Amino acid sequence: MIESGLEILASRYAYALMFVLMGIGLYMVIANENLVKKLIGVNLFQTAIFLFFIAVAYVEGGSAPIVPAESGEAVASPLPQVIVLTAIVVGIALTAVGLALVVRIYAEYGTLREDTLREVRADE
Amino acid sequence: MSAIAYSLAVFVLLSAVATALFRDVLSAIVVFAAYSLGMAILYTYLLAPDVAMTEAAIGAGVTTILLLLTIARTTRPSAEEVFERVDVPAVVVVGAFVLVLATLLPDMYAVGTQDAPIWGQGVLSETPTVHYVQEAYAETHAHNAVSAVLASYRGFDTFGEAVVVFAAGIAVLLVLKREVFA
Repeated sequence: MIESGLEILASRYAYALMFVLMGIGLYMVIANENLVKKLIGVNLFQTAIFLFFIAVAYVEGGSAPIVPAESGEAVASPLPQVIVLTAIVVGIALTAVGLALVVRIYAEYGTLREDTLREVRADE
Repeated sequence: MSAIAYSLAVFVLLSAVATALFRDVLSAIVVFAAYSLGMAILYTYLLAPDVAMTEAAIGAGVTTILLLLTIARTTRPSAEEVFERVDVPAVVVVGAFVLVLATLLPDMYAVGTQDAPIWGQGVLSETPTVHYVQEAYAETHAHNAVSAVLASYRGFDTFGEAVVVFAAGIAVLLVLKREVFA
């Protein structure tokens, strides 16, 4: 039982890592009061999903997707890798907009802590 | 499957935990840059050099610069304690989320196996992956299948990505009230 569990974990380590990293990203978004750290959490969550795509594209004993491949040689799938490339660039655009909003919030309210921000807004 | 992959996974995991727990935002940003770099090396190991380069340049580079610029223009909380207090209710919620996901683990294909449907096994015989790997050079004359898919097969996708970046640039300028042509 435990042995087969460990075997599953060893052969699917990238997926297990992805689940835990998603959990850490989610924790940062929920629990960290600082808005900048919340955005770092969003980024962490994103990279976990990128890891999933890259792990799906991976092929044991293969090589990077350079074609035409020699006969009998396996190459990694290019399609998930392209999707991740696009997602990384879209992710940085998202982060930039989020950080710009953070800068504005600080200029307006003078704090980046969520609890203080809630109090300040309640007083208005 | 090697010791390298496992040690990289452990490194990435530890730096992610440190990012979540450091109270000082600057420390969190620096550790997050290390995390991105570790992730980039893991991508290289998983046969995705193009993604690894992008992650190293954008994830570890540009994101770090943007985060540093933000704390330079706002505030960096003075840290009396090194670590944040752990939020127990959040840990319970997140733990439940991870446990639910973990139940899927036995049903997933092992990392690196070619039994998965994307390799044209089972019901599907002609999948996009199989087509790209076999035909990309003949159809696009690009040796790198990733650039063949990015710029040729899915060129409209990449165009849409450029539109998103453009829109984000406009949004940032609007939010910060910067007038470029003033």
